[in-house]
Amino acid sequence: MGARIMLENISNGKTIKHEDTLLSVHDIRKSFARNQVLKGINLDVSEGEVLALIGGNGAGKSTLMKIIMCIYRQDTGDIYVGGKKVTSSKPLDAMELGMYLVPQEPMLFPNMSVEENIIVGFSEKPGELHKRLVDLLKQLGWEMDLSRKALTLSIAEQQLVELLRGLLRNAKLLILDEPTSALTFNEVESLFKIINDLKKKNIGIIYITHRLEEVFEIATNVAIMRDGIITLNGPVKDFTREMLVQGLLPPDVKENKQAFKSKLPDYKNLKPIFSLKDFSGYGFKNICFDVYPGEILGLAGVVGAGRTELATTIFGKDSVLGGKAYLGMEDITGMSTAKVIENGINYVPEDRRQDGIFKIGDIALNTSCGSLKKLGKFFMNFKVEKQFTDKYINDLHIKVTGQDQLIGSLSGGNQQKVVIARILATNPKLIILDEPTRGIDASARGDVYTIINKLKDQGFSVLLISSDMEEIVQLSDRVITMFQGCINHTFQKADINQNNLMSAAFGVYEDKKEGAKI
Amino acid sequence: MNTIKKFINRRECTSIIFLIALYVIVGLINPTFIQSDNIMLCLNGATVYTICAIGMAFVIFTGEIDASIGATLGLSAAVVATMVRDGKPFTLTVLVAVCIGLVIGLINGFGVAVLKVPSIIMTIGINSIVRGISYVYTGGAWVENVPKNFKELSQQGIAGLSWMYIGTIIIMIAIYMFLAKTKRGRYFQAVGDNEDGATHLGLPVTGTHLISFVICAVCASLASVVFVSRIGFVTPTSGNGYEMKAIAACVIGGISLSGGIGNMVGATFGALIMASISRILVFLGFSSNYDNTITGILLITIVVFDAVMQHRNTEKARRERLSARTETVAESKVVGGNM
Repeated sequence: MGARIMLENISNGKTIKHEDTLLSVHDIRKSFARNQVLKGINLDVSEGEVLALIGGNGAGKSTLMKIIMCIYRQDTGDIYVGGKKVTSSKPLDAMELGMYLVPQEPMLFPNMSVEENIIVGFSEKPGELHKRLVDLLKQLGWEMDLSRKALTLSIAEQQLVELLRGLLRNAKLLILDEPTSALTFNEVESLFKIINDLKKKNIGIIYITHRLEEVFEIATNVAIMRDGIITLNGPVKDFTREMLVQGLLPPDVKENKQAFKSKLPDYKNLKPIFSLKDFSGYGFKNICFDVYPGEILGLAGVVGAGRTELATTIFGKDSVLGGKAYLGMEDITGMSTAKVIENGINYVPEDRRQDGIFKIGDIALNTSCGSLKKLGKFFMNFKVEKQFTDKYINDLHIKVTGQDQLIGSLSGGNQQKVVIARILATNPKLIILDEPTRGIDASARGDVYTIINKLKDQGFSVLLISSDMEEIVQLSDRVITMFQGCINHTFQKADINQNNLMSAAFGVYEDKKEGAKI
Repeated sequence: MNTIKKFINRRECTSIIFLIALYVIVGLINPTFIQSDNIMLCLNGATVYTICAIGMAFVIFTGEIDASIGATLGLSAAVVATMVRDGKPFTLTVLVAVCIGLVIGLINGFGVAVLKVPSIIMTIGINSIVRGISYVYTGGAWVENVPKNFKELSQQGIAGLSWMYIGTIIIMIAIYMFLAKTKRGRYFQAVGDNEDGATHLGLPVTGTHLISFVICAVCASLASVVFVSRIGFVTPTSGNGYEMKAIAACVIGGISLSGGIGNMVGATFGALIMASISRILVFLGFSSNYDNTITGILLITIVVFDAVMQHRNTEKARRERLSARTETVAESKVVGGNM
């Protein structure tokens, strides 16, 4: 494949058509409610091309893929497959047109054999399919025991089954959604070999990933999405890692913008309130860090870096595999969630709807439910409940019509404040905030930031987990970044900026002072 | 050797071994139990349960449950009994029975597949509605005086085995082949095994759920024909508890309540075990009042074991996935933390 520039000029939406263009996406726009997710996407994929698609959380990658696979319908814009306009809105038709999406978590039928898994859903006879499948495997030179049950397969093998499903449907374009996120190093190597095989067979691939080094290893072209637009697109050889990181950042980054002037903790005279020593669990390994009193420690990283797993394991929701966690002098390793809370750690979960609120409860219930022990021995003392709920409503400026309002009827921001109030009521020493402003509008976001800073001033320690680099930069006194389950860098106040954090989160940060190799 | 191993590893095999062991043990205590006459009686007595279990298997395959077949069977039996008593033709009677099943099955299926009501709630509700209808229909009275020639239908057969049981087994084998060999048959297993996966491949998930409920209810109404022929009268509570028997038959036969695992052969043997329990109790000199308790214990034991295994497997898979992420770094040593 010679190098081809697919898009000469993105801004005026004109594309240069090539005869071997498999998929052509024109000015796709899509909104959910009032939230515009895709703001005019143009993208082309040709035969034998591996297009790496990179983007942060909420950039719109999955929405775009779902539109291509006819799972969602775009508001405006057209999709052309092999030069023909797609009009269908059924996923089955997208498959028939030669597109196949390999989901991040393979969707196999665990109790069926590999062969049954591959041939289910076809209209041809099983005998013919078997022959075609065996031919296909021979052609690709892959080996696979077709009679094994799918539940005995590793993730890598499951992906292979998904690929075969697509190829047996004569797919010309495969979409791989973060295929390496659950693979071991050797499996990644063999996946790359497979992708190269497919490349040679002139199959086009859209390769969604969070790992920049993979772009240079496997992709021919690269596109970066941010906030529903494509900020950068072209052959991989035209770009460097730094250029890709720039593409991920908002255009008008005011570096070191400090919305909140708060003083740094005096680290020299402080003892850490919480420390992890070689802490390992499912999804993370050998984590060491300290949190000091009155400090906001940012924990940055991309989705799947192991941040939430780390937090929930500290919080006693999953088993510890090694290492120690200390709160003050107390060893809290492997304690149950109730004990961890009693000792003084509390956690604001990432998924508020699922884990954070009691949807059909009122504000009072949602505030007091974390500290019911204080509200009487057997019968609840509703007067006390009312008093302290009122206190938090005033302190945190929660906008409610009354304590008896149902939490489900509040806006996301006010819900989050109630969750924070509940956690403060348990009198914690360390508060872990996991994506505290996800799904919260801009003004409420400011309120939450003010609350977080207030907490710090009051001497609480905060571990702030976020994928939003701007948020981390604004709030944190120190930042650690996680990459593939390990902490790869620590930044002091002076070095905290979006550029550094983004590079580190994607595993491509180079420490200029030390000249450390990556 | 390999074939034997393969056979023993199959889930329905456990129920066959269990059945044989049960018969041998009871036979050792009371030899009359394993005489061919008695075994034939056990088989014939399992006809109603077997038909119900075959229908139930479809629903359980797809990961749902139907708690309404007891009432469906009861209502249908009451209608069948009145019709044959009044001298209506046999074919018309069967047709009406099937229609009753069809309607109830469609309602269940619509609620679960289209309106997304949890199947246990939907079908318990329908169960009590249908039971109520059968009280209204019969006026709370027994339907008796079923003609002799209709009752004899279940007595006729070859070598002590009734035609009805033989017919049931033939239908069972046909359904087994349909599920194992045809692409439509695969859908039931696929939907129960991984519903999201089935949607992802564009399989007709809603339709499959709907059809499974229809088949289940129609099976129950067909079973009612056999029921009337065998018992000879219908009370307002007829069929009560049959849903539990059918579910237990499926589960004991190796069909997983989480869907996607098992087959009709297992369900048939499960039904035979269910039907044999009350007879066994009598032969061992116990009261058959223990029947329900023993059914319950068997069911709970297997379901608990299944649930524990299921949970362990998903947890293991989740942990393996998470561990794979950290291994990448450990092996490739991309960066060193500078803490």
